[in-house]
Amino acid sequence: MNRGLYLIKRLLLAVPVMLFGLTLSFLILYLGPIDPVGTILGRQATPEDIRQLRIQLNIIYPNGEPVPLWDQYLRVMWDLFTLEFGQSWTVQRQTPVIDLIVGRMPATIWLGFWSVLIALFVGIPLGLYAGLRANTYRDYFASGFGIIWRAMPNFWLAVILAGLITAGGALDWYKDFIVTTTVTGTPDVLNNLFTLYHVFEGIPLLEALAIPVPNLIPMAIAFKWILPAALVLGSSSMGNEVRIGRTAVLESINSKYVDTAKSKGVSGRKIIYKHVGRNAIIPLLPVIMGEFYLLIGGSVLVEQVFGINGLGNLFFRSILGPDIPLVMALVFIFVIIQVTVNIVQDLLYTYIDPRISLEDTQ
Amino acid sequence: MSSETHADPTAGDTEPILTVENLQTAFYTDRETIRAVDSISFDVKRGETVGIVGESGSGKSVTARSIMGLIDSPGRIMPGSSIKFQGQELTELSDAEYRSVRGSGIGMVFQDPQQSLNPVYTVGNQIRESLKINRGITGEEAVEEATDLLEAVGIPDAKRRLDEYPHQFSGGMRQRAVIAMMLACDPDFLICDEPTTALDVTIQAQILDLLKDLQEERNLSILFITHDMGVIADIADRVNVMYAGQIVEQAPVEELFANPKHPYTRALIDSIPGEHSRKEGLETIEGEVPTPNEPADHCRFAPRCPKAFDACENVPPQHVSVSDEHDHTAACLLYPEDLTESHRVEKHLSLANDDTEGDT
Amino acid sequence: MSETTSKSIREDLTQRDELSLYTRIANNPRPFFKWAVPMLVLIAVEFPTYAGVAFGMLDAVVIGVTGLLDAAIGLVSSGLSQTIRDAQYAVVGVLRDAGGFVDGLPTLFSREVIPNQGYQTGPNGPWEGTFLGLEPAYAWALRATLIFAYALFTAYWVFRGWLVYRDHYREADWTPTDDIVDNLSNHQWGKFGIFVLILFLTMAVFGSALGPTTVEQNIQSPYSERINYFNEDTGEVDQVFPGDANFNSKSKGSAEFNVGPMSYDDYGRFHPFGTLTNGRDLFTFMMGGARITMIVSALAIGGAALIAAVFSMFSAYYSGRVDLTILTTADGVVSIPRLLLLILVSAVFANHWIGNVLNGGFLLAIIFAFTTWPFLWRAVRGPALQVAQEEWILAAKSYGQQPRTIMRKHMFPYIVGYLLVYASMSTGGIIIGLAALSFLGNGLGISPPTPAWGRAISMGQDYVSGPSWHISLLPGLMIVLLVTGLNALGDGIRDAIDPEAGGSAEGEEAAAGGGG
Repeated sequence: MNRGLYLIKRLLLAVPVMLFGLTLSFLILYLGPIDPVGTILGRQATPEDIRQLRIQLNIIYPNGEPVPLWDQYLRVMWDLFTLEFGQSWTVQRQTPVIDLIVGRMPATIWLGFWSVLIALFVGIPLGLYAGLRANTYRDYFASGFGIIWRAMPNFWLAVILAGLITAGGALDWYKDFIVTTTVTGTPDVLNNLFTLYHVFEGIPLLEALAIPVPNLIPMAIAFKWILPAALVLGSSSMGNEVRIGRTAVLESINSKYVDTAKSKGVSGRKIIYKHVGRNAIIPLLPVIMGEFYLLIGGSVLVEQVFGINGLGNLFFRSILGPDIPLVMALVFIFVIIQVTVNIVQDLLYTYIDPRISLEDTQ
Repeated sequence: MSSETHADPTAGDTEPILTVENLQTAFYTDRETIRAVDSISFDVKRGETVGIVGESGSGKSVTARSIMGLIDSPGRIMPGSSIKFQGQELTELSDAEYRSVRGSGIGMVFQDPQQSLNPVYTVGNQIRESLKINRGITGEEAVEEATDLLEAVGIPDAKRRLDEYPHQFSGGMRQRAVIAMMLACDPDFLICDEPTTALDVTIQAQILDLLKDLQEERNLSILFITHDMGVIADIADRVNVMYAGQIVEQAPVEELFANPKHPYTRALIDSIPGEHSRKEGLETIEGEVPTPNEPADHCRFAPRCPKAFDACENVPPQHVSVSDEHDHTAACLLYPEDLTESHRVEKHLSLANDDTEGDT
Repeated sequence: MSETTSKSIREDLTQRDELSLYTRIANNPRPFFKWAVPMLVLIAVEFPTYAGVAFGMLDAVVIGVTGLLDAAIGLVSSGLSQTIRDAQYAVVGVLRDAGGFVDGLPTLFSREVIPNQGYQTGPNGPWEGTFLGLEPAYAWALRATLIFAYALFTAYWVFRGWLVYRDHYREADWTPTDDIVDNLSNHQWGKFGIFVLILFLTMAVFGSALGPTTVEQNIQSPYSERINYFNEDTGEVDQVFPGDANFNSKSKGSAEFNVGPMSYDDYGRFHPFGTLTNGRDLFTFMMGGARITMIVSALAIGGAALIAAVFSMFSAYYSGRVDLTILTTADGVVSIPRLLLLILVSAVFANHWIGNVLNGGFLLAIIFAFTTWPFLWRAVRGPALQVAQEEWILAAKSYGQQPRTIMRKHMFPYIVGYLLVYASMSTGGIIIGLAALSFLGNGLGISPPTPAWGRAISMGQDYVSGPSWHISLLPGLMIVLLVTGLNALGDGIRDAIDPEAGGSAEGEEAAAGGGG
């Protein structure tokens, strides 16, 4: 089987997975004790208003008959898969859901990008280092960090870190370090990270393409602003990476193929890079991909504590609303991200580990 | 150490390529020091196959790893040990110097072909790595050379198989590939640590034949380690029998099987099933190999030995010549046979004292 | 005929006759009694505490399960659902009566036996009402130390019971469990995990006796009974409601409004962890939180492990389409990040009756079980597949043994060790998730005023860098300690069942990390 076929097979398998997640959310929201009409109109609604809204929300037919659940279900699913997300109920009444999401997207992407990157660049080297220096004090030090990071609740770490930085605490200097920035809230620079240059002006088709060039000062400010939150969000992944990285290196370094490579006269450094490195990445791959999973859930908490106007915060507010179209749209997006990450992971496996054949699904 | 041990009038024409003298390798754990290899001496001559045979835990593999310089913490080669390879003292080498000996000087084939090849690189890649490091061959030339090597070890359709991964090879093929990878280093000396143990009998015979052919073609010297007396009889020219970190008997292979002297060697030979067996049914050696964690002040085989007497518990036996025609020695208080028991014990005691004085 | 011969042959071969445990004990009762009598004493002195915990948990499970049944059957037949509701009332009534009865019984390490709440009779006068007239801090410390010592000893004695069984009454000289226990007892890190787990279980069981005051008096109904205290202004002993005393003992991050750890408030009450922003005792609050946390996590991980065990054996035994279906379902469950699903369900059902069982904990336990099993299943599926291909399973199949028997007798014992490892590690994630929900508040998580660790962290959010730093910091540290301990326990069991693996990296990521 070639990779193309494999990809198609994985995509087909992703359909029931997505449907499962979305159906579950639908059932919770539509069978649960939520009164959408009361939520939207409040107590002073006239019966006519209520009737109109019910028709509009596809709860009853214009003739007053209730719409069966499966009918509502099909309608909701169809709308989602055709990217018709509808309008917000309560978070920002009658604003298109898509606008709300797009508006909140940059902060979360910025946060997620750095939390993944920081975790990768701190956790993996530290784990590999601990494995190479196994059972020395440096190893215990690095592994100790890993153990603690894994056990620290994100939201608690966020509270402590935010508290230390803002309220005249031990890390107060951070606010005025190099450039003065706030730590909580969402700065405007986020909308000014890139300048788009329309270099293809006048050329048909290519005209729409623009080259984004990073603006360094806003980038620096935005980085400094997001750093504490990104550190917190990446912490548990960092811990996992230290731990798994260490065991993976140990496993590989004590293996026969490393002895064999040494017997061939391969230098110590090359053994680490070539023979140990590649093998140690294999068990790390699911941890790295797992970051996305932790990230989506964790963003709700971290954005809440640091007051970041991102998707996690939006999700929280939409659920408290309750703002069903917004919730369903966000769940749809999160499920798509999750399923995509899974497929990417499986594909990467086939590249990194030749023992995994394309015939296997898992 | 005692020069008489290695005196061999017939071997004057060949120089030893490897001389191991008084090798001691110990492992330090929290609770005890394990003398995995306890003062052993032997040599290997050019073009010769020397066997080391013993049960698991007798220190065979540690000997091999000591020669390769692969002893990691908490293991250590003790001062006073000497491993001379082509006149060069290996125990004094730095890491970088050792690296130049490995591969082009000494190659090693490990027991488990399943795990000796890196699973994430193609077989060709790993052979080419050997070629590049040891012989500076790269590019198209390396591919051709690698193909030739695979063919030389009897892998059909070599060109295509270069691009396959280890898991696509069968067990026997994988061991052939490992041997090809080691040959790519063009070593003068090859250590084979139980290379056939994980394979079934027919494949085992094929690999042994392959090693013999290669030895002839390339004038390889081989140190062959196994627990299998049958394999030793098939491949070795001279044999060292190891027990609990010590060599208990050294002899040319025919002499050893014809006239085994040490009670342990006899027990080993008796335990071979089939034609070599001297008794009906399958003999096994009662008891287990003790963990050598004390300095040798007695015969370590004594608790399992059918011929043990009181002195065996108190006197460390030394190698004495047990044959007039052959270079055959045994470390056992039963020898030399022509002396009375008390004289034998005395001789061993005085040899042991000479030894310790020589060391200090 | 043939049966008896085969049996006698077996006896010949194994040199053992099949005696029941009872007969074996009757033949040699000494070791058993030497163990059992102290055990009975250990249980008896704290029996009401254990019974109270058991009744409380039963109560919640009965309400939860009958409630769910009621809702499910109510769709079909309203008469039947009425019967269920009646049964529920009856059972709960009995349980509550029993609970009330045992509540009144005395225990050895209760606050009545070693009281720590008292008052000074003068500015530097002696303490009245405390144990031996000790300062409340010392009286409390004494009681807490005794309780922990008792709990540790009881735990050891239970283990001792297994040793007695092994040495005197077990038929086999050796079983694989012996090696596992030996390995674990040489595993310092694993033993640390066991110690931490016992510590927190003690808090959950003996929480009401461990705190300097009770959840009841200090948090749930602070205006029902007055307490005595020495009034420095008037120089006399006065009376005050705990609620009013709380009001004046708030920790609000300024020098005048703060009662820090290991200090007294103006009413002579000792606060080991200081007070909360509303003046309640943080230590008592944490002990109350420990109970609900441990109950919810135990229910959740138990449920998840059960589902994972059954599904992994199904996967391994039937493989093919069954495996693929379970795989798709597991991926589907995991496709919604767990915390989001938790927020979603608890927000939607915040005001529903099921959201009130066990102060909201029952519903959370169900969701945690539902969202955790895919991880456990993934981790245990490998070992299950391995065992399913073993010769003895194939042999059992060819003899026509029932799949159910094969799974229970041959496969389950093999996977249970792995299940324990990953269950232990996943519990950390559940505890963090539970705290996260309570932290978010807004009707999520454990409903107030029942103490919840996350809520304490949320309260102290604004006071991290200041005198009231303890409010957020200490509860978080306790969570870190517990989760670290559970991870250590998982490591220990894993190394004990498979010392060769030395911590294989495979499958571990599945269970690792909570993220919340």
